[in-house]
Parts: sequence; structure tokens; C-alpha cells
Amino acid sequence: MAAAAWDALMAAAQLGHGGAYRRLLGEIRPWLLCYYARCLPPGYVDDAVQEAMIAVHTKRATYDPARPFGPWLAAIARYKWIDRLRAMKRSAADALPDDLAVGDHESAVTSASVLTALLAKLKVPQATAIRLVKLDGLSIEEAAATTGQSPSSVKVNIHRGLARLTARLAADPEFDDDA
Amino acid sequence: MMTPDDALLDFLAADLRPVRRRIAARDLTAFVVLAALEFLAYLLFRGARPDMPEAMTHMMFWWKAGSLALLAVIGVVTTIGALDPARSPRPGLRALALAAAGAVAVGWAIDAGSGGAGALLTRLDWREGLACVAAVVTLALPALGALVVLMRRGAATDPAGAAMAAGAAAAAWGGVVFTLHCPHDDPLYVALWFAVAIAAVMLIARAVVPRLIRW
Repeated sequence: MAAAAWDALMAAAQLGHGGAYRRLLGEIRPWLLCYYARCLPPGYVDDAVQEAMIAVHTKRATYDPARPFGPWLAAIARYKWIDRLRAMKRSAADALPDDLAVGDHESAVTSASVLTALLAKLKVPQATAIRLVKLDGLSIEEAAATTGQSPSSVKVNIHRGLARLTARLAADPEFDDDA
Repeated sequence: MMTPDDALLDFLAADLRPVRRRIAARDLTAFVVLAALEFLAYLLFRGARPDMPEAMTHMMFWWKAGSLALLAVIGVVTTIGALDPARSPRPGLRALALAAAGAVAVGWAIDAGSGGAGALLTRLDWREGLACVAAVVTLALPALGALVVLMRRGAATDPAGAAMAAGAAAAAWGGVVFTLHCPHDDPLYVALWFAVAIAAVMLIARAVVPRLIRW
């Protein structure tokens, strides 16, 4: 861990230095991956890393440059780990029934309303943010003003919504590029 | 090729705005100002007890006000310290418990020295006691609200501990404000009913505040 360098990068990020912040995020990501790989099932690691990154972003004002960045990051990572464990406990998986039927998706996939159908699978704030910014071309600030969400929430909702759509598409052979 | 994770990092770094660093001393100053306003407002609208000048000549009055003020100070410092993700409120909570035990011990010593031994039930005066509890809990709410606002801007990694510290601080401060009006200085009465009030606010804070400061 390049501890001293991280201290300086975060201090610069607090002053609005995007380049320093992008570098810092790139450097802490492998650390977070290692951290969560040791304490979470593999399927949860990426989500936990993303949650921690977003927490670092939203709570960056609480970092005190007079103190080392490493313990601050570790405390956030641990807090998000505990949060994730609680969520896992709440959403303990039930066994899937044998007769779980999957209907024919072809018409929906090939219809012009496929995007609407996909967006309908998302939470309303995520679908709204994606529709306004990615389809209607609004800026983040305009979308925030329209929806009443904060700009950070709009960004996070877009990212999470797209990630969920990507995961849904990747998991569904009907959407395979090679198909 | 850009991965989804790279996209997230770019996303977060894009349009990065400078942030106003959270400074504990500034939070503490804000709380002290709000608490002082509550104190003055209560003095203005409710008024001091009629025998205040005489009460202020007794050690018991100062024991009550001083003990509650000490608990409020420890609670506020603990709460604000816990808004740094890397700091735990647990040592502060232990200090609060020790200070409370010390306050009760000093009160017992004052009580023993005064030779004030009346009938227990008369001294505890439960009707008045419950009214005191209600008053302290009510007066604690503005302080608790102010602390929650500060807590939402911070990043407590032990929300339950921070919530209990905030509850103790707010209730103790509510007690300090109520000493302006409360005519009871009997250490037994104060130890019981003020402890009930502080415990009640701590429980309320423990149940409600973690949901409000989740991040």
C-alpha cells in the first residue's frame, strides 16, 4: 500500500482534483478486491467493491488529511462488509422449485419495445435516471432536477441500473451477441 | 477494453467537486451554539425555578447540574468523534458509564453527609418523577435532532454505539436545561428519575437513529 501517496491523492481529491481521484480509485480497487475476496463468497466480491467505492466517494469529506488514509479506507471497507453480511442474511437464498418455467422471450426480445421492457425490470429510480440521461440526453444536473434525486444518486442509479441490465443480458442467452 | 469497473471509476471521478472537509471542532461549535440557544429559549419561555438564588447555594444543585453537564460533554465528544469512520464510540460509552457511576457515588456521599433520610417513597415522589422524565425527554429532542443532522454528514461505522452516545448526550443536555426549572435536588430523586430519562432517550436513539444515519 503506497500509504503516503494515497494520503496526498485523497487530499487532492477533496479539493476537486479529478485526475488524482481517478488514480486513487484505480489504486484502491485491487486492495478492496483482495479485502473482500478474503471475507465474502466470490459472487459478492464485485458488488462489495463497488459499494465501498461509492461509499468512499460519498463520504470523502470525512477524511482528515492530517491522518493516514489507509485506516480510513479499511474502516469503510469493514463497515460495508458488515452491511453486505447483513444483506446476505436477509436475502438468504431459497431452493428454486423444479417446475420453474421460463416462457418464450422471442417476441419480446425482437419487438421494438424491448428496451422499455428491460427498463421495467429495474427499480423505478434507476430506470428513470437511465431513460432521462442515456436516452433523452439530459445532463446529470437536469435529470437530478427533474427527478428530485441528488446528482450523485442519479449517477449511482445509472451505474447500478446499467450493471443490472448487463448482468441480466449476460445471463440470458437470448441476448448473446453471437446469437 | 473498458470494464464496467473502469466505467464506475471514471463515473465517480468525472465532474468531481471540491468538498468541505468535515471538521470535528466545527461540528462541536455548531452543537454548542444550538444547545445554548435551547438553554436560553427555555429560560426565556419557561423561566427559572422561584428559589433559584437559594438553590444555587447548595452543593446538591451544583452536583446535579455538574454531573449532567459532564455526561453531556462526554456524550457529545463521543458522538462527534464517532463520525470519523476510523473511530469507535465504545471507549466514550465506557467513559459515560463510569462518569454516571461516579456521579451517583458523589450524590450518595452528599446525601449521607446531609443526613436527609426521609421515607423512600416520599423522597422519590413518583408523580413528580415521571413529569421530570417527560420534561427531560422532551428537552432532549432538539439536541438529539441537532446531533442527527451532524451524524448524517459524518460516517459513523458503529451506528448503534454512536446513536447511544448521541442519546446520552442529548438527554444529559436536556437534564442540564431542566435544572433551570426542576425544584428537586434530592440525590436519590435525581439519580433515579434522571437516569430513567437518560436511559429512555438512549433506547429511543438506539432504535431510531441508526436508520437515519445509514450510509
